[in-house]
Amino acid sequence: MDRDLLRQSLNYHGPSLLSLLRSEQQDNPHFRNLLGSVAEPARGPPPQQQLQGRKEKRVDNVEIQKFISKKADLLFALSWKSDAPTTSEVNEDSEDNYAVMPPLEQFMEIPSMDRRELFFRDIERGDIVIGRISSIREFGFFMVLICLGSGIMRDISHLEITALCPLRDVPSHSNHGDPLSYYQIGDIIRAGIKDIDRYHEKLAVSLYGSSLPPHLSGIKLGVISSEELPLYYRRSNELNSNSLDSYENIMQSSLGFVNPGVVEFLLGKLGIDESNPPSLMRGLQSKNFSEDDFASALRKKQSASWALKCVKIGVDYFKVGRHVDAMNEYNKALEIDKQNVEALVARGALYATKGSLNKAIEDFELALENCPTHRNARKYLCQTLVERGGQLEEEEKFLNAESYYKKALDLDETFKDAEDALQKLHKYMQKSLELREKQAEKEEKQKTKKIETSAEKLRKLLKEEKRLKKKRRKSTSSSSSVSSADESVSSSSSSSSGHKRHKKRKRNRSESSRSSRRHSAKSSSDQIDQNRKDEWFPVPANTSASFLNQREEVEKLLEKQDRVPYQKKQVKEKDRCPLSSSSVEIPDDIGGRSEEPRDFYNSSKTQAGSSKTEKPYKAERHFSSRRDSSDSFSRNSEDKSKMSGYRKVKKDAEGRKEHYRRWETSSVRYSTSPASSDYSSKSVERYKRSTYSGSRDSSRHEQRYQVSKNQGEYERGDNDEEDVKTEVPEDDGLSSKGHSEREVKKKLPQNLLNIFNQIAAFEKEKGNKQKN
Amino acid sequence: METVGQDSCGGADAARGTEWRPAPEARVHFRVTRFIMEAGVKLGMQSIPIATACTIYHKFFCEISVDAYDPYLVAMSSLYLAGKVEEQHLRTRDIINVSNRYFHPGSETLELDSHFWALRDSIVQCELLVLRVLRFQVSFQHPHQYLLHYLISLKNWLNRYSWQRTPISITAWALLRDSYHGGLCLRFRAQHIAVAVLHLALQAYGVEVPAEAEAEKPWWQVFSDDLTKPIIDNIVSDLIQIYTMDTEIP
Repeated sequence: MDRDLLRQSLNYHGPSLLSLLRSEQQDNPHFRNLLGSVAEPARGPPPQQQLQGRKEKRVDNVEIQKFISKKADLLFALSWKSDAPTTSEVNEDSEDNYAVMPPLEQFMEIPSMDRRELFFRDIERGDIVIGRISSIREFGFFMVLICLGSGIMRDISHLEITALCPLRDVPSHSNHGDPLSYYQIGDIIRAGIKDIDRYHEKLAVSLYGSSLPPHLSGIKLGVISSEELPLYYRRSNELNSNSLDSYENIMQSSLGFVNPGVVEFLLGKLGIDESNPPSLMRGLQSKNFSEDDFASALRKKQSASWALKCVKIGVDYFKVGRHVDAMNEYNKALEIDKQNVEALVARGALYATKGSLNKAIEDFELALENCPTHRNARKYLCQTLVERGGQLEEEEKFLNAESYYKKALDLDETFKDAEDALQKLHKYMQKSLELREKQAEKEEKQKTKKIETSAEKLRKLLKEEKRLKKKRRKSTSSSSSVSSADESVSSSSSSSSGHKRHKKRKRNRSESSRSSRRHSAKSSSDQIDQNRKDEWFPVPANTSASFLNQREEVEKLLEKQDRVPYQKKQVKEKDRCPLSSSSVEIPDDIGGRSEEPRDFYNSSKTQAGSSKTEKPYKAERHFSSRRDSSDSFSRNSEDKSKMSGYRKVKKDAEGRKEHYRRWETSSVRYSTSPASSDYSSKSVERYKRSTYSGSRDSSRHEQRYQVSKNQGEYERGDNDEEDVKTEVPEDDGLSSKGHSEREVKKKLPQNLLNIFNQIAAFEKEKGNKQKN
Repeated sequence: METVGQDSCGGADAARGTEWRPAPEARVHFRVTRFIMEAGVKLGMQSIPIATACTIYHKFFCEISVDAYDPYLVAMSSLYLAGKVEEQHLRTRDIINVSNRYFHPGSETLELDSHFWALRDSIVQCELLVLRVLRFQVSFQHPHQYLLHYLISLKNWLNRYSWQRTPISITAWALLRDSYHGGLCLRFRAQHIAVAVLHLALQAYGVEVPAEAEAEKPWWQVFSDDLTKPIIDNIVSDLIQIYTMDTEIP
């Protein structure tokens, strides 16, 4: 209970209210205690006041008193006061916000005497006053107040109230020795009230901002223009010139009155809270309303149960295999209730079964965010993370895979699959690292050897090249028939062997994909191992269309793989030793993938003596073969039953392509002729698709030990390639297509060309089919 | 029907001469408008849309007998319509949910089945009926805006400490909101109602407008030229009658 308020009211209404209060509020303990104490002072002074009041208010007064007494517990409650703090009194009220009115007393026509009295009663230190300088003395200047700038808005223009601004409160302007010389009589000055002598009706003002309360400190004091006078004062002047205008007219003609936001603005100004609207009705005390009964809460609840219904229908669909219908239901549920956990989990599960693991993970994570205790969401998320990790391993993104496993472990420490997978991954990573280092050492040694001989070789090759060119010029017309038998033999043999292995490989592949789908790290461990090899011995530079890749790729690569020191070195030192990283990479990939590459290389080696220029091509072809094998494999496994497997392979292939691209960049740089790149991109692209189709990962596990065996040979072969390339620049100006064709013609045996043509035809066919 | 409507409209005036006994219709309307206000609060409506809803409701039953239509359905439609009129759009689903909860406290939320859609249809149909009965005149001048401007003017004239201490604005606002429990809004001008609630709020706390005795024009006359003391007294006493129903009707 607010005693002061109650006392104020009792003083006004007199003892009749007191007795009414006693009878009405006797059940209220607060009042029983209070009324005793309040009654004492109430009895003393009021009688005279009460007599005065009584004369004016008559019959209805009893009604009002009854009303007060009935509602006293609400009216005088402490909580009844406005909670919202009134917005600070900065007098920036523009016309647009609400109808700024001339002061009330101007309409009421209250005599100046009373206005003056009330002004001195109500003015406070820190208020802003505005006045005109009336006289300047040596100790300061006097100003006649015309209006107020903050606090109360009163009409004081005719009251002749003067205020002194002493010299010490006038800020000095550096140009003038005497601060007062800056001011003239008649200037309009805004100043803060510094001192009030209410008894003698004297005011002292200051031009320093420190005289103002903090929330007004931004206001500039000193000389102002007449435009800066407060709006209420200007309105009041207008009213003076036309005193017949009524309050209502002024208000309704004001722009601010029709402002649609006027109610909101004034409520804020007056400190009334609309979100918790006041009422004196017992039944409408908003504090008694339950939060659950509010519209938003009910809607939320309803939406949740509606969404759940949809999820149930969806689950039923799912059970009978109608996945599309199920998905529709889940989506509907999520449309109704965005955060519905059950719908998220169900949709996630559907995504997971459909193979969209990333989407599934998203859904599960969102569900867990909304409901961290949801057991199924957690379980499914763990499983999906591990599955996705497995996929990433296949794609050779080992760090990502690791983070997925770790995430799964973070969610569920006891999740065995994740732990196993993570351990295996770590083991593997370490192994490959060691292996890599060994290789790097070997590389170094070999490189140093080769550099010595490269100059000689270069010379030899140049000669040979010239010779070949001459020949070619003679036989350009019959270029298609120019060929070398060796080449075709080797390639055909390799392709046939590839076909033989094809079936086996296919089986392998489907098995592995299935196992990874099952998510058991154990069963897929073999495959993981294979993948690991892939990762650590990145694929040779496949000089395909992506040859034109930028150096950023290399930089990225460097960042990513900087734990493998030798690679970095290689890229950096590519100027010094022309060996591309691709040459290093070849062994593992080719050797690991199948045995025929070895054959192939052997054959190429034997050919090396007769025509060295052929070698580079072979090497190239070889690079590409790897990539193609994956592509072609995916082609083979396209049958519907293995859809998921197919997808994985696709991804796999894509991942690998990325690798190629990365490693290509290095070779691109050292090979000074863009022509060579072109040659490789066109001819190789075609070639690779054919012969090695399906010759993928047949015997990856052999990879490791073949590496060392093959390395030397490949190295040499590659070097040769290098040399040839450096020769090529002469052809630079030619258009890429023609150039590549010529290159092919120059270097390829007839048989091979035939094969190429066949391949091209096959490619086209295939492309068409796929489109269909 | 017309005569009945007239009775319920002017019921308060007629009854005031004798001992106050609210007509049965007035009691029904009190209850239903209380429902409108409670639902309005729960729907997050602001004061003016709620006032519009109440005005629509009262105006409707000025024209039509209480027995002709379910007053609660009319109330729900009034809420919906008021939301449209005052640009604070409400969704029928929310109105149905809140109302259902009001009629069946603690019940589960409704299923979104045919029953629900039937309810929704009835609200929309009733909305059309209301519009026709009101001849599509559903925008009203409310006292709220006036009251707020009066409060600002008064605040500048009063001593700032007594203003701070006394919850005049909040009380006046509450009184104004509560006034819509009856048909006051139809019988009096908006400015008059605003002055009357302000007057009652000042009286309740025993606050006097300074220098009122010396003034040429009383403060309430300033706010509205055509206002007289008896009008204020009428409004105040009507308002107080509304509050007596509050204690009588659970």
